Amino acid sequence: MSAVAFCGIAKRYGAFEALLPLDLEIASGEFVSFLGPSGSGKTTLLNICAGYTEPTAGSLFVAGRDVTAEPPRRRNIGMVFQNYALFPHLDVFENVAYGLRVRKIARADLDRRVEEALRTVRLDGFGRRSVRSLSGGQQQRVALARAIVIEPDILLMDEPLGALDKQLRKDVQIEIRRMHVARPRTTLYVTHDQEEALVMSDRIAVLRGGRMVQLGTARELYNRPVDAFVARFLGDSNLIAGRVVELRNGSATLCADGLAAPIVGYAAERLRMAETACALIRPEHVRLVAGGQPARIVERIFLGEIAALRLALPSGVELWSRLFSSDTPARDEIEIGWDRERVSILPESS
Amino acid sequence: MTPAGAWTKAFAALLAAAIVIPVLAVAPLAFSKQSFLQLPPHDWSLRWWEAFFADASWFRALMTSFEVATLSCLLSVAAGTSAALGLPRLGPRMRTIASGLFLGPLVAPVIVLAVGLYALARSFGLVGSTLGLVLAHTMLALPYVVLNVGVSVAALDPRLALAASGLGANPWRVFRTVTLPSILPGMLGGGVFAFVTSFDEVVLAVFLAGPNVKTLPVRIWEDVRVEYTPVVAVAATIMIVLAVIGSAVGRLATRGTA
Repeated sequence: MSAVAFCGIAKRYGAFEALLPLDLEIASGEFVSFLGPSGSGKTTLLNICAGYTEPTAGSLFVAGRDVTAEPPRRRNIGMVFQNYALFPHLDVFENVAYGLRVRKIARADLDRRVEEALRTVRLDGFGRRSVRSLSGGQQQRVALARAIVIEPDILLMDEPLGALDKQLRKDVQIEIRRMHVARPRTTLYVTHDQEEALVMSDRIAVLRGGRMVQLGTARELYNRPVDAFVARFLGDSNLIAGRVVELRNGSATLCADGLAAPIVGYAAERLRMAETACALIRPEHVRLVAGGQPARIVERIFLGEIAALRLALPSGVELWSRLFSSDTPARDEIEIGWDRERVSILPESS
Repeated sequence: MTPAGAWTKAFAALLAAAIVIPVLAVAPLAFSKQSFLQLPPHDWSLRWWEAFFADASWFRALMTSFEVATLSCLLSVAAGTSAALGLPRLGPRMRTIASGLFLGPLVAPVIVLAVGLYALARSFGLVGSTLGLVLAHTMLALPYVVLNVGVSVAALDPRLALAASGLGANPWRVFRTVTLPSILPGMLGGGVFAFVTSFDEVVLAVFLAGPNVKTLPVRIWEDVRVEYTPVVAVAATIMIVLAVIGSAVGRLATRGTA
């Protein structure tokens, strides 16, 4: 039995389709990220799961129970908001204890559980502090403790790192990851940041325009995106536009405008013959190959152990390559190539 | 901001004096020994204070004022808080109309309100009753509560209520533990305004008062018309002191939220 099951869940506001019918099952203890640009429906999905938004169609099951019509208070959820949403008039301890007091947990048990939750987010000893006196990162950890202390069936997080600056973002991100590894809880995590999704998730669902475009592990999404949109959203990519001239046995040949030889690669599922498409070659797969395509280095960016090179082909097409800094050639005129297993031929969108 | 020049300061001082002097002028009169109002008094005494507390009708008027102000304060805080919480949930059109109506008593000429209320109160037999005065003052005080609580409600993050309900709280518990503590300063501030509004009010009270139910301002008004003794100044001084205490409490209540 799955921990969470969306069955044809959809949401419409007037004529606007915020979320198209969606089917998705999440296993117990699984960490699933919902990744997409703003307006892609990811927050709507989370709010439906919490009960803050009522779906226009479909049913939602949590631990096998149909909760579609249940108000948030009967769902046993732990929600973490982007702006923390801590109760300003309560101290850290009382914020964390809120859900336990509602559940009428006995005093001794309550104290123990709050202390344990604060220890989990490494804020032990902060109980009597006012939430206003804490940094953003600490406040978000209090919010985390408040959400997990009630032992929720599902943990929901709506861009929890969105309000934090870069360093704190990293800290809290690692904190969430650490917590999940130590004790896996079924988690739905909304973000527009690909790195967050890559670091934390068991599976990632990429959303666009209210539709789930692809669902898979980080590796699957990175190596075999279903279209150019997903490819752009996860990681850096070289996308070379062209036309599909051959499609056979899961592999495709793309005739690209500025390239002498056609590009052969893995064919994405929804690719159609003779349509315009893109070849995806990740920068780390563009290698120096003696006797390969001639190219010229027009820009070198030193990134420490890695160097990013902007390459121009004779036709004017530009590609990025990432090499170990130590492998970077001294001369500008080079010859490049790539393995055809590393290449994907993708439709622009699916 | 550039520091204020000498002229600006002088003008400000003049303006402040113009506002404060008539109010402060009353206080020495209350401690006069003479039987008529004259500034400055020749001799000082507490005889008019004795007279004030010896006359049961003065003391009764003071108590009536307290009673009416307290009741209309409580009523307007209850009604005004509900209104302030409900307004943001209305559609934009209804909200404009409704808030216009709630704030109406602020802009309507008081004498017009008085005449209208008098006619209404007569048909319900409320002239000369405490209830009539309380209802009239509640209406007058309502805008202050709606405005004050409205500010607190606007500053309230709606996600706090969502977070509380997600943690299992029912709507009443959400209100009691999350909404109420956040809007309490606004309610206290509005309540003080409501109390002071009722305590000071004279026009509606003159229309709606009866032989047995007179507020202090009405009693002063009646007294001034017949004899004009320093007892009036005593009553006025009591009112000033209460108004000052009231606004100080209001300041304290809303401190840290504005």
